[in-house]
Amino acid sequence: MSGSGGTEAGRFHAWRAAVRIARRDAWRYKGRSALVLAMIALPIMGVSAADITVRSSELTKQQQVTRDIGAADARLGSGGMGHRPLVQSPVNEEALPADQKQDESEQARDEADSDVDPRTAIPAGARWITDQSTYARIRTRSGLLDTSVRELKADDPIAAGIVDLDRGRFPRSPDEMIATQALLKSSGLHVDSLVRVRGFDRAYRIVGAYDLPSELGVEELTALPGAFIAGYTSAMKAAGSAYEGQNGPPSYLVSLPGGYSWPMVMHANSLGVVVESREVRLHPPARADVPFYRVAKTSTGVVQTGVQKAETVAAPVTVGALAILEVCLLAGPAFAVGARRSRRQLGLVGANGGDRRHIRAIVLSGGLVIGVVAAVTGTLLGLALTALLRGWLEEYVGKRFGGLALRPLELAAIAGLAVLTGLLAAVVPAVNASRQSVLSSLTGRRGVRHAGRVMPVIGLGAVCLGTGIAVFGSTRTDSVMVVGLGSGVAELGVVALTPVLVGAFGRFGRWLPTAPRLALRDAVRNRGRTAPAVAAVLAAVAGSVAVATYAASQDRQDHDAYTARAPRGVYAVSSGSDGGRELGAVRAAVEKHFPVSGRADVSRLVYGPRTCEPHSYQSGCGGFELQVPTANQCPSERVDDPTQLSLAERRSFATDWRCAYGGGQVAMDTEGDVTVGGPAVLHALGIRDGAAERALARGETVLFDRRYDDHGSLRLRLITDMAKQQTDDRTPSGEVRTVPVHVAGERTPYGLVAVMPRQAALAAGFRTVPFGSYYTTSRMPSGAQQQALAGALANFGSDAETYLEKGYQSKNHLVLLALSIFAGLVTVGAAGIATGLAQADAEPDLKTLAAIGAAPGVRRRLSGFQCGLIAAMGVVLGSLAGVLPAIGLRRAQLREEWSTYHTAVDNGWGRADSLPHVPIVVPWGTLVLLMLAVPLGATLLAAAVTRARPQLTRRADG
Amino acid sequence: MSSTSTPSDQPGPGDRPRVPAQGSPSRPSAQSAPTASASPSAARSGPEPVLRLEELTRVHGSGATEVHALRGIDLDVFPGELVAVMGPSGSGKSTLLTIAGGLDLPTSGRVVVEGTDLSAASRKELAALRRRSIGYVFQDYNLIPALTAAENVALPRELDGVSTRRARKEALAALEEMGLGHLADRFPDEMSGGQQQRVAIARALVGDRRLVLADEPTGALDSETGEAVLALLRTRCDAGAAGVLVTHEPRFAAWADRVVFLRDGSVVDMTLRSSAESLLTGGAAS
Repeated sequence: MSGSGGTEAGRFHAWRAAVRIARRDAWRYKGRSALVLAMIALPIMGVSAADITVRSSELTKQQQVTRDIGAADARLGSGGMGHRPLVQSPVNEEALPADQKQDESEQARDEADSDVDPRTAIPAGARWITDQSTYARIRTRSGLLDTSVRELKADDPIAAGIVDLDRGRFPRSPDEMIATQALLKSSGLHVDSLVRVRGFDRAYRIVGAYDLPSELGVEELTALPGAFIAGYTSAMKAAGSAYEGQNGPPSYLVSLPGGYSWPMVMHANSLGVVVESREVRLHPPARADVPFYRVAKTSTGVVQTGVQKAETVAAPVTVGALAILEVCLLAGPAFAVGARRSRRQLGLVGANGGDRRHIRAIVLSGGLVIGVVAAVTGTLLGLALTALLRGWLEEYVGKRFGGLALRPLELAAIAGLAVLTGLLAAVVPAVNASRQSVLSSLTGRRGVRHAGRVMPVIGLGAVCLGTGIAVFGSTRTDSVMVVGLGSGVAELGVVALTPVLVGAFGRFGRWLPTAPRLALRDAVRNRGRTAPAVAAVLAAVAGSVAVATYAASQDRQDHDAYTARAPRGVYAVSSGSDGGRELGAVRAAVEKHFPVSGRADVSRLVYGPRTCEPHSYQSGCGGFELQVPTANQCPSERVDDPTQLSLAERRSFATDWRCAYGGGQVAMDTEGDVTVGGPAVLHALGIRDGAAERALARGETVLFDRRYDDHGSLRLRLITDMAKQQTDDRTPSGEVRTVPVHVAGERTPYGLVAVMPRQAALAAGFRTVPFGSYYTTSRMPSGAQQQALAGALANFGSDAETYLEKGYQSKNHLVLLALSIFAGLVTVGAAGIATGLAQADAEPDLKTLAAIGAAPGVRRRLSGFQCGLIAAMGVVLGSLAGVLPAIGLRRAQLREEWSTYHTAVDNGWGRADSLPHVPIVVPWGTLVLLMLAVPLGATLLAAAVTRARPQLTRRADG
Repeated sequence: MSSTSTPSDQPGPGDRPRVPAQGSPSRPSAQSAPTASASPSAARSGPEPVLRLEELTRVHGSGATEVHALRGIDLDVFPGELVAVMGPSGSGKSTLLTIAGGLDLPTSGRVVVEGTDLSAASRKELAALRRRSIGYVFQDYNLIPALTAAENVALPRELDGVSTRRARKEALAALEEMGLGHLADRFPDEMSGGQQQRVAIARALVGDRRLVLADEPTGALDSETGEAVLALLRTRCDAGAAGVLVTHEPRFAAWADRVVFLRDGSVVDMTLRSSAESLLTGGAAS
């Protein structure tokens, strides 16, 4: 007798036979194999496509250099430090002064000096072209667009590779430009359009469209050198515009035989020039030869701590593990169906001497075969998908790929996950199949397959342990990680407990009509088969519900934290340039396009020339500062270091009104948040305060922030020249003007500090300059009305700032919908597979039913209810298992915030108006959708796809 | 073993091989046959039986649902011998076979196959015994649909750890020996039922296996094909194997050396084949 079954070689031969059977079976049952294949291959396809995309978007040094400097050997530019020698890094163009000892004022003086001309570092015999950019505001179809305008001879051989001309041609004359696709898209311009620049009377024709291969989203125009920047700069200078002086210094693309070596770079550095050299990038010098590293002793790179690293790794690993678990739970029942259907075959193997090991090997081989095929298919599809969607992916990533980069080891590891998933999914069915006695497999006796007893006990243990950890985490610690860990363990425990929980549903059977009762009894009696499907639904639903609960709670938190700048529907428009000269036209446009029901004009308080823009630091422009009386200053502000104060004192600041700064943001940004206007401003902002209105009517200023109240008056310190104020750090020592005030009860509504009537401002010696209006509307302006107004304002090139208060806009409903759909699909999928399994088992019952005269529809109803039941059980258990951890997480977050708050209070930074607020909201809409719609959908779907008549089985002919 | 000729290609009860009546150590004596016990071997000398059942009982269920499937069965099957088991439905024929093959365990009594006591064997040892000593042939669906005829025959050997090449060689030899070489690479659904059963017999005897347990191997076949299958089984037994054949049909039982009649789990009669024919014609099995 030959008995090599126990040896390594023997095991191998037995496995070969098992794989052969599994391979042929997979081919015989193509439908089921394809289903499992798709389940495993789809995530693999996604992951491998993502891997190829990420790797493809990482360029080689050569590709990156070509995109940066084209075919040139080097790009030379100013180091921004005048003529001071500098040292630069060979890998990027970061530069530091060579001599760090020079004091800062000297450095500032050097920077203010006329900048260095990089051409001094171009060796004799080299060929070069210039590359320079500026910012300009171009007129588009719908208004104005800030864009970069570059001067570069893009078709010069030196520049080859920097721009990628998509259509049209390069500029040939000074009135031609080419535009990036991104610019054409956002501006509505096209090849052959004329481009006009605001404040510049020349027009340019767009003759081509291009991309910057590494920055696809950049909006840029390119003209020939000398065609734009010089003329535009002088035009801006003449108009005194802020756009003057935004030109970057020119850089020079240099081509020279032999390349630009590291010694040449160091020589250029000694002249104050920074060099991006192809040769140095591709072959960096030894570290010892780089003076930069000696100067830059401290590393500028961000070093991740161990914990951060662990978190960076933990998140994707957790997501990956959960995905594998989910696929295993989904695919597991499919293998169980397979094993159940080929029960006779497995029995024959047993009769011919196959022991449990062999039966396990055959079912596991099913997982192996499908896993391997899924690995190959998924990887190939991922590759094909990336190749096919390359253009779209490049747009998404924002840069052209250097080529499709395939990393065999990474792809093999990803593919390995498919094999692992297939094997893991087949483990439980394999063990179950091997436990079947050969005799019952051969005779086809069904019996009731009870679920194992060990798993529920382990599950109960895991639930208790996990719940304990989570409860401890949310009540005793403030660590979200601990709660997450506890919830995870508890959830796995619930998955293991599923058979017992499914049993509990059986009690409801007696009140149900025939078909659902039969379905429920069958599901409960065959827990071994029902449980994995319910667990799959449970896991998917729990995850979705947990995220949905968290998202809904976060949404409420964001909603509560939202600070409106005005009552909902109020529209604020302001214009600070040219002393508000364009306001008339702006107001006319608003009143034409918006359903306006009221208007309150406001002015701003100006000390100095009226043409100065708000908050301007230009020379000659004046300003003022509101003074907080010493008695009203927060005590912590009076000392340099709050830790010098006692703990009790520091804690007391948290409840001290002087330490609570008024919240809110203003819709119109005036100096000191002081608005010049009358009672109409209060009306427009919905501030109902009779005393304040009366005060304004009698010409008294209303103060909303009582910290500034100095015995019934507001003190404003004048600043004669803001430019000088900016360079001088000392406390301003200008004249102080005093304005009598009425202190209002409400604190800084919509960020307002004070509303000052015009006569009060004039009396205090200020100018008032019209600034804008608050409009109340009879209804929220529609999207079309908003676009029409934006278009009208753009048409006359208005600089007006606009703000429409829409109230809090939730971004979460799409997330919730997507989660519901995901959970729904998984539920229907898992329930469908389990129904297939139940059908395979229930065939004799169905035949009996048919024989005793049941209508063909009963078969459909039974199948529908089987599917619906699994979906319902999974959804109910999953919702419970999902809501609870989310609540735990939120509670832990609340504790964490309180802990941070108490630390802040103890340190003297605590503020009464910044108490932690972490609301918990259960997403009832999502839950109802999941609990009702999904099981119903699953029921109908299963009923619809089930054959009403039994299938006749072929009998073997002799 | 047998000194007589093997069945021809067109066998029939008329030209069936004669059983060696005397002198053969593999034959139970005619005198010992018609007793309640089918195991007369206590004082026997000579070769050991391939299969020995001693005081075999099998009780299914307990209490109110208790069913006595077998009650104190004794049976020896010797090399070269084909024993037919007959009886009405529910008489315990199939239970006897499954216990003899180690697929089920007796409630009491002993099953010894080639010297190994199955009651004391572990599940692994039982499986190994099925790979190496016992071959099964069922009524239908005997072959694994995913494997070709040769692969089906080679399966027990491969499961036993024999290399694929060697297992295939042995399988091809077994098929050739039975005149089935031309079916080697056909899948079960490409063969007729008779061909499938003959391949199943080849599989049951591949390697060194000497015990064939056939449970109604002709049940799903027409009579002519059934005869051919039985002829093959007879040939294998004459070549040295021991066979147990469960059947309903007296004409198939007539291929056996002995016929054991079961009723309600007990052996009610046992006869040598020559006597069996007269018994059968007398309607003993009806």
